[in-house]
Amino acid sequence: MPDPVLTIRSLSVTFVGPGGIVPAVRGVDLEVHENEVVGIVGESGSGKSVTALAVAGLLPPSARVTGSIVLAGREVVGAPREALRLMRGQDIGVIFQDPTTTLNPLMPVGSQVVEGELAHGRLRVDEAWPRAVELLREVEIADPAGRAAQYPHQFSGGMRQRAVIAMAMAGRPKLIVADEPTTALDVTVQAQVLALLARRQAATGAAAILISHDLGLVAEVAHRVAVMYGGRIVETGSAHDIFKRPRHPYTAALLKSAPRIEAAEGRLDPIPGQPPTPTDLPAGCSFHPRCAIGAHRPRCRAEEPPFRSVAAHGVACHFAEEVAAPATIDAPAAARRPSVGQGEALLEVEGLKIHFPIKAGLLRRVIRTVRAVDGVSLRIAPGETLGLVGESGCGKTTTGRAIMGLIPVTGGSIRFRGRAIENAGRDVLREARREMQYVFQDPYSSLNPMLAVGDAVAEPLRIHGCYDEMGGARWIARLFEMVGLSPSVAHRQPREFSGGQKQRIGIARALALKPRLLILDEPVASLDVSIQAQIVNLLQDLQRELGLAYLFIAHDLSVVKHMSDRVAVMYLGRIVEQSDKATLYASPLHPYTQALLSAVPAPDPSGRRRRIVLAGEIPNPASPPSGCHFHPRCFRAGPRCAVEPPTFEPQPGSPTLRACHFAGPLEATRGAAGAAS
Amino acid sequence: MIGYVARRLMQLLPVLLTASALIFGMMYAVPGGPVGVLVGENATPEQIEKVTKEFGLDRPVLVQYADWLGRAMTGDLGHSLHSREPVAKLIGERLPATIQLALTATVIGLLLGVPLAVASALTQGSWFDRGLSGWSALALGVPTFWVGILLILLFAVQLRLLPAASGYVPFWDSPWQMLRNTILPASTLGLYVSGIFARFLRGSLIAELNADYVRTARSKGLVESAIVVRHVMRNALLPFVTIVGIMLAGFIGGAVVTEAVFTYPGMGRLVIQAIGSRDYPLIQGCILVILVGYMLINLAVDVLYVYIDPRIDYG
Repeated sequence: MPDPVLTIRSLSVTFVGPGGIVPAVRGVDLEVHENEVVGIVGESGSGKSVTALAVAGLLPPSARVTGSIVLAGREVVGAPREALRLMRGQDIGVIFQDPTTTLNPLMPVGSQVVEGELAHGRLRVDEAWPRAVELLREVEIADPAGRAAQYPHQFSGGMRQRAVIAMAMAGRPKLIVADEPTTALDVTVQAQVLALLARRQAATGAAAILISHDLGLVAEVAHRVAVMYGGRIVETGSAHDIFKRPRHPYTAALLKSAPRIEAAEGRLDPIPGQPPTPTDLPAGCSFHPRCAIGAHRPRCRAEEPPFRSVAAHGVACHFAEEVAAPATIDAPAAARRPSVGQGEALLEVEGLKIHFPIKAGLLRRVIRTVRAVDGVSLRIAPGETLGLVGESGCGKTTTGRAIMGLIPVTGGSIRFRGRAIENAGRDVLREARREMQYVFQDPYSSLNPMLAVGDAVAEPLRIHGCYDEMGGARWIARLFEMVGLSPSVAHRQPREFSGGQKQRIGIARALALKPRLLILDEPVASLDVSIQAQIVNLLQDLQRELGLAYLFIAHDLSVVKHMSDRVAVMYLGRIVEQSDKATLYASPLHPYTQALLSAVPAPDPSGRRRRIVLAGEIPNPASPPSGCHFHPRCFRAGPRCAVEPPTFEPQPGSPTLRACHFAGPLEATRGAAGAAS
Repeated sequence: MIGYVARRLMQLLPVLLTASALIFGMMYAVPGGPVGVLVGENATPEQIEKVTKEFGLDRPVLVQYADWLGRAMTGDLGHSLHSREPVAKLIGERLPATIQLALTATVIGLLLGVPLAVASALTQGSWFDRGLSGWSALALGVPTFWVGILLILLFAVQLRLLPAASGYVPFWDSPWQMLRNTILPASTLGLYVSGIFARFLRGSLIAELNADYVRTARSKGLVESAIVVRHVMRNALLPFVTIVGIMLAGFIGGAVVTEAVFTYPGMGRLVIQAIGSRDYPLIQGCILVILVGYMLINLAVDVLYVYIDPRIDYG
């Protein structure tokens, strides 16, 4: 076997700052070979990104690095600055997470793509522009010559990430480090970008490190996987082995805690507690407080487990032999809750339209209208969960906010408990909002940082003047208990809580008025995988105990499946398909739903499914395509689709409602269309 | 672009109308009203009647305002009560001097402030950086008249290198003489704004140095100096341009103290003289010109943004 491209030996990274000493990486060993993709999986604070930055020599000056990183035969640790600079863009290319901020907004994309090669003297100035065009063509950007002269804000998110890939690969690096390369992208665009990344990596034969929190994504792309926790690698092995037969309790628990799209339902099995912060690592094995095996064993508390070999895996666990094989996932499907979806509707939305005018010119005339929501109808019964799924810009959040009365409605009706509330006056809305509450996506910014969390939870009661009536401090304490927090923390400030705890506080605040309906807008999207499961379980328990109805807005199809009774799929302001969960996930009829479902990465490398990669990206809602909004990206579209918008109506012989001229099961058309890849 | 400038100019109209009405109304707010202003406190009834007739002060106020505004638009701002000379001529003599001083001061402020900001942002937290914070506080806190007097004492009285009283020499007539006459008042003002410039630009630079695209640039293997010059500087200058515009506009009317210390013949001193002698037509003219100057500089800054920020499209 030839020498590995990258060899990391006992790498430790410690940040020394005013806040004290932070051990971010504690003894990492890793090898990456030519043509190999190694996935690093971990939650926030696990040290995965710091490891990547250390390899690229991009750590800030406050970092103390020990150990050894040999990249393409040269030592990186302690190398002079100039040597590191020459290495970057030549031996190593880095792809960062958020393509909206990784490009300089004031420089044409083409210039940025070739900047590295110019800096390394591999390119003469007069060769730069043709080279930029060539590189953009290699990452399959349409009209590369025209695009090279454009600025980042003129690119869509997926195109920007393609440009970043072109930039990172420009110097034909021996190692590519991709740090959460698709996390900020939509599911269908993520599929495109991953496929492109894989093609470019295979074409250049480079070694690659793929860093992600997404087990499914790593399972699909990586050959080998390293799982990090608390600054260490706790398990390594081939992708197949790790997911089929994890040997570390953390890996096993992580796999069990993530909702899976192909799995039957059943309660999620979250990891208790939360990932440790590097400043406050538990003694001994840093996972032991959350571990099902070691939580009460003195050895785990006292002694950091060495990294050893167990059944072809590398594992850092004293009791790896005790980790059971994961149960097969065909657990009996939980019986559908009866009573649900029956009876009178709690919320009824009919033909909802929300249009935003775009004004321009001297007299601020309306030149165009953004049809953010364009004829959405939905219905939620008491105690029921409706999942509203879609990619960015589809109008799902706008719909949720309009129902809460936060956005004026252009057309259609919203009825809550039989009463029309669209564009209603203050009093009607106020009354409706007592029984209808909103939980926001970002728990970090949706709590006032100056307000003690107990006061934040009590605020809705005070606004509605019923603090004492509802039981005052006793009710607040009860709310904290309901969301799994100790009432004794009520006097603390939001900054003292982790993301998951803040989301619990947000849910407690929403529950304060004893509502009947919660609008949950991406409530788990910004949380770590192991925390997501805790919140999902909490929401399900609350629903069962309090008989709440949920409008669950999300982009993550696995979580939506787990949470919902019925699911509606939105695309560019319209619902394209709606059905009960079982039918929708088992036999989707709309081509968009089919593509969306096939694009979800699943942590099961044996079952790498056939994936429909949609062309293009979501069009601008200000100028949507004619006819069916989806037709330019559709693999089934005919001439009719460009002209005539399909009606949203029941599919014959199915409980599903869909808006498509050619709706039907996937198998029936796959051969003929040939668009699956 | 032309359309945008035209639109912005038209948006200035209501502001100008409101401002001009207030400026015109000022005459009615002073004791004795406009007649009193013209004839003084000890005038006889005959004098008052004569002046009222002569200046048409018996007409309705709106007519008088329209008349005044119409003449102001053709450049006729009336006559100074003090010197009997046209206000437009008096301002015309002082405005170039003020613009020249304001520009020189801003250039000096930039020459001092920008390198200091860059050096301290790149050595964030070092003794140099901390020293700069002290410098900024000093530059902002020390009164300009005191700095001006110190500069006169040093360069004019002690070293006899420069004139103590600065006259106005147009740059085109003699760049050398212009520099000799302008350098002391301009340095006084420049020193002051350099503190503001350095402080704002440093903050802006530090924010940009931590931006993701800088990490991307490093990952491409760019030399650090190229990263600062090609990437960080332009982004950091975006918010900075606004500050420079505001300070420059402020100098058009607000360099009163410095102009007084150096007996520099600028707008600031003209305004002070006019107020001192209750020369209301002159005060009106000065305020109007300063206001227009302020608005035009801000418009110029906004137009400049189109060239430095591709994301802005005024269409």
